[in-house]
Amino acid sequence: MIRARGLSKTFRVHRKEPGLMGSVRSLFSRKWQQVHALKGLDLDVGAGEIVGLVGANGAGKTTLVKALAGIIHPTSGTAEVLGFVPWQRKNGFRKQIALIMGQKAQLWWDLPAGDGFLLLREIYQIPNDTFKANLAVLAAALRVEDKLNIQIRRLSLGERMKMELIAALLHQPRVVFLDEPTIGLDLAAQRAIREFILEYRRKENPAMILTSHYMEDIEKLCERIVLMRDGELVYDGPVAKMVSSFARHKVLTAHLRAGETGPDGPARPDSAPGEILEWSGASLKLKVDRAQAAAVASHLLQTYPVADLSIDEEDIGTVIEAMLGKGPSP
Amino acid sequence: MLRYLRLYGHFMRFSISRALEFRIDFFFRVFMDLAYYGIQIAFYQVIFLQTPLLGGWNRDQTLVFMAGFLVVDAITMTVVSNNLWFFPVAVNRGDLDYYLVRPVSSLFFLSLRDFAANSFLNLLFAMGIFAWALARSSIPLTVGSVSLYAAMLMLGAFLHYMMHLIIILPVFWLQSGSGLHGIFYSMSRFMERPDRIFTGWVRKALVTAFPFCLMASFPARMFLEGLRWDVLAHFMAVIAVLFAVLLVIWNAGLKAYSSASS
Repeated sequence: MIRARGLSKTFRVHRKEPGLMGSVRSLFSRKWQQVHALKGLDLDVGAGEIVGLVGANGAGKTTLVKALAGIIHPTSGTAEVLGFVPWQRKNGFRKQIALIMGQKAQLWWDLPAGDGFLLLREIYQIPNDTFKANLAVLAAALRVEDKLNIQIRRLSLGERMKMELIAALLHQPRVVFLDEPTIGLDLAAQRAIREFILEYRRKENPAMILTSHYMEDIEKLCERIVLMRDGELVYDGPVAKMVSSFARHKVLTAHLRAGETGPDGPARPDSAPGEILEWSGASLKLKVDRAQAAAVASHLLQTYPVADLSIDEEDIGTVIEAMLGKGPSP
Repeated sequence: MLRYLRLYGHFMRFSISRALEFRIDFFFRVFMDLAYYGIQIAFYQVIFLQTPLLGGWNRDQTLVFMAGFLVVDAITMTVVSNNLWFFPVAVNRGDLDYYLVRPVSSLFFLSLRDFAANSFLNLLFAMGIFAWALARSSIPLTVGSVSLYAAMLMLGAFLHYMMHLIIILPVFWLQSGSGLHGIFYSMSRFMERPDRIFTGWVRKALVTAFPFCLMASFPARMFLEGLRWDVLAHFMAVIAVLFAVLLVIWNAGLKAYSSASS
């Protein structure tokens, strides 16, 4: 459904020196810099896939989404979405896609969401019966049936995002671009939106591209992750494979049996192999090399009164940070 | 076509609902435009204390012209001005994104989304002034002559809109549009004067490349001095050329649009 080959985008950016003098100088003589936001990127996304697009700020995620949604023209390369060239902006293409940007509102600020939905019905030429049915299903799924007649500006951030989701999905798009859909939301709202996205995918089977800085979004929603750095793909594959291939550590958590460690509790295990992440006297969490995980687990079982022991992968954010060269080296 | 009319109906309903939410702002804007009308009428009254003719027109004929440009101004203020005013900001902030992914003409959406309800009230006042000026004139009124004048004023408003948009479209490359608005509003002052007061290359420019004299002066001339087919053909040709130029710049601008970082 989505296919990009050699997609590149270069922006010409004016570099101004700081301060007033820098502004005055730039009035007469400007320094320009070429910023390569995308560098010959290849990508394929099929129906029913939710692909997580991950990278640091400025990695090119949003530029990629905007090129595939037809908002900006690439400098070079080709792309097809549902058989259309996105930046030609044919109505046949635009009727089948949706774009949701967590940092930009599409609904009218001073009007109830219900009014905005009526406008979208007209824009997408949704038959009245289908519109009513879709709206009822979406509003029920997001639990906002009683908020449809309240002005957008009077809704909470979470409720506004839910309305934005409804606005984007009323016409049952086959390709959905989600750019930071949970940004700024509280945990309950984030969870509700994630559940809703999964439910929507199950029912409608669209191709979805999700960008998010919240690793929980990626873990809960995406089977496949595309990691970007400086406009290039660093990794494109299953989330699980990325973790097993690139994580160098495992996390061991041991819960200790109460009453068997003496009146002062057990001594802090400073000599334990690996890095101590948590130590409370009742539990111990260690980060160890993957190769040593089994040996360390055995050591813990012999040394401490362990009631329960678990061995987990490193969290995905740490793995990604390491792959992007920002965190501890993998 | 019907779909676009229905869409425009939604834009009007939403805009009116929103405008009525802010009552003081609504009436303040009405008052502001009425003050502008009053100043224009007073200005010409003062001029005619000094001279019997202006650009070949007497006081009553000039009032007919002045009422015409007030109508053109009120139409553009009602239909497109709010939209065009915020257009450069939308380009600069990347707010065009949602407009570009909708399966409707982006130009239609961006130009007409915000209907200025307060200015619509002023349009009614301008039409009242227009009727008063026509009644005062010595020209015999027929359905044909008044309809032609009204139709040409609407085309004049369309010209006004196209010129405004063409002048602010470079914002796609410049990223800031406040100076562009300033250029347009300075130039649009030419619309408020009878065309024959201008001569030489200034006049040539004002009836061709920068057709501000076609917006209100030519329609008034046709009404006051009779229909001339060569002038009408020139008027329509300028509209067609300007529309083509607008589309070319618009498409080039969309290609250059870089949105904004999130």
